[in-house]
Amino acid sequence: MSDQIREQELPGIGRRYSVQAEGGEVSVVIHHSGRRDVYLSDPSSRRPPAVATLSDDQARRLGAVLAGAYFQPTLTRHIEAVVGGLLIDWVTVAGDSPGAGRSIADLQVRRQTRMTIVAILRGDDAIVVPEPTEVLEAGDRVVIVGRPEDLDGFVRHVAG
Amino acid sequence: MTLPGPMGLLAATGGETGRELVALGAALLVAGLLARAGRRIGLPTIPLFMAAGILTGPYTPGPVLIREPADLGLLTTLGLILLLFHLGLEFSLDDLLAGGRRLLLAGAAYLAINLSAGVAIGSGLGWGGRETLVIAGIVGISSSAIVTKLLVELRRLANPETGLLLGIVVVEDVFLAIYLALLQPVLGEAEGVGEAVTSVARGMVFLVLMVALARWGRGPIGRLLGTGDDELLTVCFVGVAVLIAGVAANVGVSDAIGAFLAGQVVAGTSVTHRVERLVLPLRDLFAAMFFFAFGLSVDPGALTSVAGPVAVAVAVTAIGCIVAGVIAARIQGLGTDAAANIGLTVMARGEFSLILASLAVAAGLDGRLGPFTAGYVLVLAVAGPLAASRSHLLARRLPTRLFPAPALSGKDIP
Repeated sequence: MSDQIREQELPGIGRRYSVQAEGGEVSVVIHHSGRRDVYLSDPSSRRPPAVATLSDDQARRLGAVLAGAYFQPTLTRHIEAVVGGLLIDWVTVAGDSPGAGRSIADLQVRRQTRMTIVAILRGDDAIVVPEPTEVLEAGDRVVIVGRPEDLDGFVRHVAG
Repeated sequence: MTLPGPMGLLAATGGETGRELVALGAALLVAGLLARAGRRIGLPTIPLFMAAGILTGPYTPGPVLIREPADLGLLTTLGLILLLFHLGLEFSLDDLLAGGRRLLLAGAAYLAINLSAGVAIGSGLGWGGRETLVIAGIVGISSSAIVTKLLVELRRLANPETGLLLGIVVVEDVFLAIYLALLQPVLGEAEGVGEAVTSVARGMVFLVLMVALARWGRGPIGRLLGTGDDELLTVCFVGVAVLIAGVAANVGVSDAIGAFLAGQVVAGTSVTHRVERLVLPLRDLFAAMFFFAFGLSVDPGALTSVAGPVAVAVAVTAIGCIVAGVIAARIQGLGTDAAANIGLTVMARGEFSLILASLAVAAGLDGRLGPFTAGYVLVLAVAGPLAASRSHLLARRLPTRLFPAPALSGKDIP
């Protein structure tokens, strides 16, 4: 058993990543189109491999699950990282959140919650270090930094 | 003026454009439905688009939708351009070099075997020297469209031989690019050695310019095409492809090689991945028209008259590919399964053979090249995938002593 992931270019198709796992070899083929094929094959047998096809979006979600992130469709609590007593986390703004449709300055985020918004993930865009005039929208994932004990206050103030 | 049957009625009411649109729409629909039926039994689309052309063409009984390929005009040329543009886009020399010596060896072995087989068939037929040169390419080069689709559909992407197999196809693509460039002066009107040399030189200058543009022009080209909007990007990259193909045709290099180089120019810019995605539906549509138009030009009567040569070419190709598969598997230290998979998969012939034949016929070479290639591609585009899906039958029959490496896959585990 090896932790090594082997990578191979499949010209005209995409890339293949294989890892030897218990019970067989797992290969992930990432097509140029974004489609993912997951192969589970047993090299010691001639049986055809089991194959599942995932869309780009499904693959990303499954990837988060495999990476150990606890995944919920309506994000209220999520992975958080505490580095030297500092918490890095994100909060999703819902349509009915108190923060939706209001700017960062308007919400007085730093003064009211003692947390700082370092980025906003909006669709495929990432707004890094947003201006105070930036208006939060429903669906935004707001990445914040601060002390762990201040998180609940931030969630109440912005996400509701 | 009145035309017989329902078409005449349409002509009377809708005029010329209406009639042409009905014919084109019906032709595409017939081709699409036929290919859809074929898909159920695992057949690729190319032979069925051709079959649709043959069936609705002027040489078979029943309704004639479009009288001759020329009626489709630029539409089929766009198909050829987009096929080669996509090839150029996907093609990367780095992939080839990263594959290492084994891949190059396997590819070279494949080409040596199959091209010499092609030359042998060509000289055996005695249609002429230029024809022999074209037949070598028609017989020697696999259909990368069918091969990649087959591997995905047969779920063989995780197989140990798949990287090598696709590598062989890349080696073939490199060869195709060089071959197309060298073929042009042969097909052209070159009189005497002097003119042929000038023509080759002009082609080479164009090639070098385009390769330089591909290498150092990425930034500006990316900025020229770069827009967040898919609509504008599509319009611009098709413009680049058609423009470069047109310039190539004007300087005496074929539009095919121009389109390939246009793909190379766009590859490696910031927009490559989006173009790869956007070009597919366009390529599929116009390539379908190209295959359909090729079918239109095929007279089934002429097909039967070249049945002998086609049968010989098919048999020689099958043997050549299987031998090449065995050699490739040996080089990589793989067993009988891999050898059978490689040999029977690279056997598929399709778009490139048809492109070569259409270039040759357009250049006024022996007209029999058309039906010969049509028959050859029809057989191998159907038989290739069917054989590839049953490759275990061949693997069982390959003598294991050909594979000195301890072939794990040679073991029979039910």
